[in-house]
Amino acid sequence: MSTRLILAGAFTLAAGAAGAQNLAPSPTLDAIKARGHLECGVHLGLPGFSFANDKGEWSGIDVDYCRSLAAALLGDATKVKFTPTSVQQRWPVLQSAQVDVLARNTTITFTRNATLGVNFQGINFYEGQTFLVRKGSAAAPKDLDGASVCVAAGSTEEKNASDWFKERNLKVSIINFQKNDDAIQAYDSGRCDAYTAGIGALAGQRIKLKDPANNIVMTETISNDPQGPTTRWGDERFQLVVRWVLNAQIAAELLGVTSKNVDQMKTSPNAEVRRLLGTEGGFGAMMGIPNDWAYQIVKQVGNYGESYERTVGMDSPLKLARGKNELWTKGGALFTPPFQ
Amino acid sequence: MRGEASAGLVPLGAASAEIASDGRLTILGAGPRPARRSRALARALFGTPLDAAITILVAGLLLWAAVPLVRWLLLDATFRGTTREDCTGTGACWVFVRARFGQFMYGFYPGDQRWRVDLAGLGLVASALLLFATPPFPRKRIVVALAVLCLPPLGVWLLYGGFGLRVVETRDWGGLMLTVFLSVYAALIAVPLGIVLALGRASRLPIIRLICTIVIEFWRGVPIIAVIFLASLLLPLILPNGAGIDRLARAVVGLGLCIAAYMAEAVRGGLQALPPGQREAAAALGLGYWRTTGLVVLPQALRVSLPALTNEFIALVKNTSLVLIVSIFDLLGIAQAALADPAWVGKTWEAYAFAGSIYWIACFGLSRWSRRIEARTALPGR
Repeated sequence: MSTRLILAGAFTLAAGAAGAQNLAPSPTLDAIKARGHLECGVHLGLPGFSFANDKGEWSGIDVDYCRSLAAALLGDATKVKFTPTSVQQRWPVLQSAQVDVLARNTTITFTRNATLGVNFQGINFYEGQTFLVRKGSAAAPKDLDGASVCVAAGSTEEKNASDWFKERNLKVSIINFQKNDDAIQAYDSGRCDAYTAGIGALAGQRIKLKDPANNIVMTETISNDPQGPTTRWGDERFQLVVRWVLNAQIAAELLGVTSKNVDQMKTSPNAEVRRLLGTEGGFGAMMGIPNDWAYQIVKQVGNYGESYERTVGMDSPLKLARGKNELWTKGGALFTPPFQ
Repeated sequence: MRGEASAGLVPLGAASAEIASDGRLTILGAGPRPARRSRALARALFGTPLDAAITILVAGLLLWAAVPLVRWLLLDATFRGTTREDCTGTGACWVFVRARFGQFMYGFYPGDQRWRVDLAGLGLVASALLLFATPPFPRKRIVVALAVLCLPPLGVWLLYGGFGLRVVETRDWGGLMLTVFLSVYAALIAVPLGIVLALGRASRLPIIRLICTIVIEFWRGVPIIAVIFLASLLLPLILPNGAGIDRLARAVVGLGLCIAAYMAEAVRGGLQALPPGQREAAAALGLGYWRTTGLVVLPQALRVSLPALTNEFIALVKNTSLVLIVSIFDLLGIAQAALADPAWVGKTWEAYAFAGSIYWIACFGLSRWSRRIEARTALPGR
């Protein structure tokens, strides 16, 4: 037993030492450097997540992730090209290497991970089914006892909602409509107290209502549909970078590093901040990218919180509260392992 | 042989002529006189009580549908303004289309480079006029052949760039320009290939006939949407460096191959309509296969199959919208993409009405134009 432990320890040390000098080959990183830009697969057009305006400029929380990755790899957040992908296309474009990474509203599930040859590298948005209600009527799904909910008949949302209410013995009348559009119109005209869909979709629906300011999207969800950057199998080193770029966005917020104070923070008394920003530790070199990778992310794109507020949060038309997408230290589910 | 005697004559009995002050002769209403025509119309519409009832019913239905439509489209619509808030009326919000007009036309093509698209469009119109609308002039064949060979690569260069022009990647192309590009270049593949396939299928050499038949039947049997999907998604998976071929190029080729099979069948119809005597006469004159085909068979077969070919082309223009499923933003795709704009939420009807009317104008224009060409090239007496 002890011999084994010693052997294992020696192996770890040796691997660590070797890793510092010669990195595992990464064809994806080499290709990105050679072509000078990152290829990122995004949603066709979903405000707040990935959306091209009339000038063809992309914005959104997924787009921000892509820019962060470009900033980390190439030192320039603008060196990224976006490939809009439809539902049918999203997996094939990733599998056939037409994009390096997919940052597109797509739920992370076991079967996708196990059967599609793709790896999910973390969660940049906790999507989930929730309710659109009139301001002041209900704060969380459990407050909907006695209320009526408009849904499209036969949809996943209808099933989810009725199961959820039944399980909790809440008397909620589900009013069925043929189409989503009919259901949302019925809600808007006051026929029911709530309308249900995913958070992102509801945020988009809310601003289409007659009086958006008088309606809110609940932050508590009744389903779990996390989303995040996705890579194909193989090329572990690239997967490592993709995973830690997202972690760096989150860690920057956790450690109070913003695009405004990032220059001062380089000499912060907090060692983790210094390691994150590349002042010490040489973390970038361990992945085979510049040491100031996380500095570039925060400087050019901002930390996760800044990105969230700008794209889907209070500084955006969608006005989504943080909810689950708040740091785990503040009651949310957004998490990063330490930069040690 | 019916009507051969009246070949060159216009039946002038029913027309009236007018000599203007400058001495020019104008033929008015070749056909029934206006008064007689309206009387015939009245008889057709209100001849019997049943006819009258049907006419009134249909007119009522039309009015019932058309009045709200016209009110929404025009009377109550908002045309001026810059933002969604300017649309206060109950009608359509054309401000949306105005604000996004550049995108509907050019996609995300950079603003300062759009002159290149305009120039390519002008070139397209000019070459179409040269090809179809000009009377024969000396060496027209050579000029046309040169134009057909040189202009398409020139167009790609102008749109894509390189060799002195800034490169505009195809991912930035979109809107009407992309729809036109897809239609024209797919047709440039489809028409020659279709003719070759049709001739091959009519060939006396069994191997060639078999190959062409298989190719035609394969491409005709596969749904276009599946072909585009395969070209866009499966090809890169199969080919070692498949991702290197441009996405748009793959879509154009896929579309072109499908339409080629349809066009081949249209041309085959024309070939079969040709009396066998034509070939025999050409053979009797000592013409070989190529000269028989080039001088005798094809000119007549193409003339006969022109309506069917136009039909295929119109179908092609509309089928280009299928590239939407592989995220290429043609006119319809860009309309849908624009709908996602939070600044213009809920303008679904306007976007589709606008895109639809452009398709309609393009296809209707094509159909009228082809009728004119048919009329001009028609054999006397047919």
